[in-house]
Amino acid sequence: MDTLPLLANGFSVAFQPLNLFLVFIGALVGTLIGVLPGIGPISGVALLVPLTFALRLPPESAIILLAGIYYGAMYGGSTTSILLNIPGETSSVVTTLDGHQLARQGRAGPALAVAAWGSFIAGTLSVLGLMLLGPLLAQWAIRFGPAEYFALMVFGFSTLSALAGKNMAKALVATLFGLMLATVGLDPQSNVARYTFGQLKLYDGMDFLVVAIGLFAVSEVLMLLEEKASGATKAAVGRVYLSLKEFLFSLGAIFRGGILGFLIGVLPGAGASIASFVSYTVEKRFHGPRGRFGQGDLRGVAAPESANNAAAGGAMIPLLTLGLPGSGTTAIMLGALSSLGVNPGPQMFQQHPQVVWGLIASMYVGNAMLLVLNLPLVGLFVRLLSVPRWFLLPAVLAVSFIGVYAVNNSPFDLLLMTLFGLVGYLMRKLDFPLAPVLLGLVLGNLMEINLRRALAISNGDWGVLFSGPIAITLWALAVLSLASPWVLSRFAKRGSLDDAEV
Amino acid sequence: MAMRSKRAATDRVLGVLLLGLALAYGWAAKGLEAGFISDPLGPKTFPLIIAICLGLSSLYLIARPDPGPSWPGAGFWPRLALVLASLTAYAYLLVPLGFVISTTLEMALLSFLFGTRTWKGLAAGLIFSMVVYWLFTRGLGVPLPLGKILTG
Repeated sequence: MDTLPLLANGFSVAFQPLNLFLVFIGALVGTLIGVLPGIGPISGVALLVPLTFALRLPPESAIILLAGIYYGAMYGGSTTSILLNIPGETSSVVTTLDGHQLARQGRAGPALAVAAWGSFIAGTLSVLGLMLLGPLLAQWAIRFGPAEYFALMVFGFSTLSALAGKNMAKALVATLFGLMLATVGLDPQSNVARYTFGQLKLYDGMDFLVVAIGLFAVSEVLMLLEEKASGATKAAVGRVYLSLKEFLFSLGAIFRGGILGFLIGVLPGAGASIASFVSYTVEKRFHGPRGRFGQGDLRGVAAPESANNAAAGGAMIPLLTLGLPGSGTTAIMLGALSSLGVNPGPQMFQQHPQVVWGLIASMYVGNAMLLVLNLPLVGLFVRLLSVPRWFLLPAVLAVSFIGVYAVNNSPFDLLLMTLFGLVGYLMRKLDFPLAPVLLGLVLGNLMEINLRRALAISNGDWGVLFSGPIAITLWALAVLSLASPWVLSRFAKRGSLDDAEV
Repeated sequence: MAMRSKRAATDRVLGVLLLGLALAYGWAAKGLEAGFISDPLGPKTFPLIIAICLGLSSLYLIARPDPGPSWPGAGFWPRLALVLASLTAYAYLLVPLGFVISTTLEMALLSFLFGTRTWKGLAAGLIFSMVVYWLFTRGLGVPLPLGKILTG
């Protein structure tokens, strides 16, 4: 294996003072984002992308910063779940079940500590997996032709639609809406203007940042506008400490959650929310009636918290090797990397090794940093919850304005942002998942280009899409994943994956 | 707003609207022609595929709707409209008034809607937008409009 020298090279990138500092800032800001209500990881990453552009960071530093935020937000979400029964992120919803019970029994400290250790161990596991699996997958994917790529994207969108929400038709509509947005602007191959309504400002297409900030950040604020009550809650933390006995008690759950979360994270479309939910269910069934799940079992915190961090690492595999983001957050990272001139995909391992291996090494460093940062500072983060909503939410919007305006220096984008804020609000109310819109938008052009290339090679023969074993396998997987909800509901009538996305 | 007796109505209406969108989108795609033959598919095939998939999904939505959502009380809609109107106004006023003044006003309005006193929202908005303006323009080199009324 020639992975080790590459990894060593990655560590030399990660240990550059600038990048170390960025990992630290990313983990810190990410944790804040995770703790604060009204800013999810997607809005958080989207709001900080313009910053990485403004700072003129090299691509490897930019992605290191964004990945740190992603990681930190995963962790930060657990803190409020445990202490206040308020999940900061959807991926921490199941953590509330046992985590808050523990807090009410005065065991918030061990619960927070097990979340931190679980995240650290599982995060490290997933980085190992990424290191071993990533180059293999990239080597394999490098032989993909346009037909295979098109089939791969169809497969990605079908798993996404099958897993992203309660209603598959709605997830499909969301994906298709994203693809429609991707067709707005000048067609790159024929230079025909499509769906621009004569607006010159739409000729360059919809910017993913404008859509992401409108759809996620603005609509989150609109959702919170509905709620009248805004009482800041106080919570006692106590000492964040885990005894060796408690640690060994939870270790099995951490490993099971980590491995399961990693595998789920690798699937395109299945994100951290599903990973945390599935691992909680599996852990509960694994112990049966002997577990005290739901009444304050440490393993009920360890499993989902390990799983969601491992899934964040696993999600990097399809992103880096195939250029196929598996979640809304990684879709934004893809957009950011493309804007910086780095196109994720199988060639990236050869063309930009410093980005890939620097990121992998930074994830090791970031995991350690989160542990060091979080164990002593939890109390401080919790105090942030007393920042009143009337200040926090308008401030989030003000930063959104800057992020949107900075894309093109154009007030027109602010109008688009407002429009997508309303669309996002209505989609949330009507139970449409939002992330597929972003994925459709980011991948739509690539999907169309590959389709057209495939048919240009075959002179218009559609059969080319189904030629070759790889393409056929991918189509079969796509059909299988679209059928899976039916199959699953036939076999098991128990609480399905649906509740993962709340 | 949705009555309990018409639980599924929202998704049906939505399905019809989406079907209309699919038709309009597909219809507009039909007219897209490249000036010269670029590739066998041209600019219209991909949008047509999307339109067909969207049409099928919306038919499914009409056939198998979810229970309707829980809409907020009637008092919420004027507030939502006010926020959307103010955001629209913000887009138009940002360049003439400048970042600091327009952001202060927007933040003050939102703070008020989230339930604080007007002067508190104004003060917090002014301080926050001045700090952020300074941070982004000086620290990060992101150009933000200073305002035509200030520069003349």
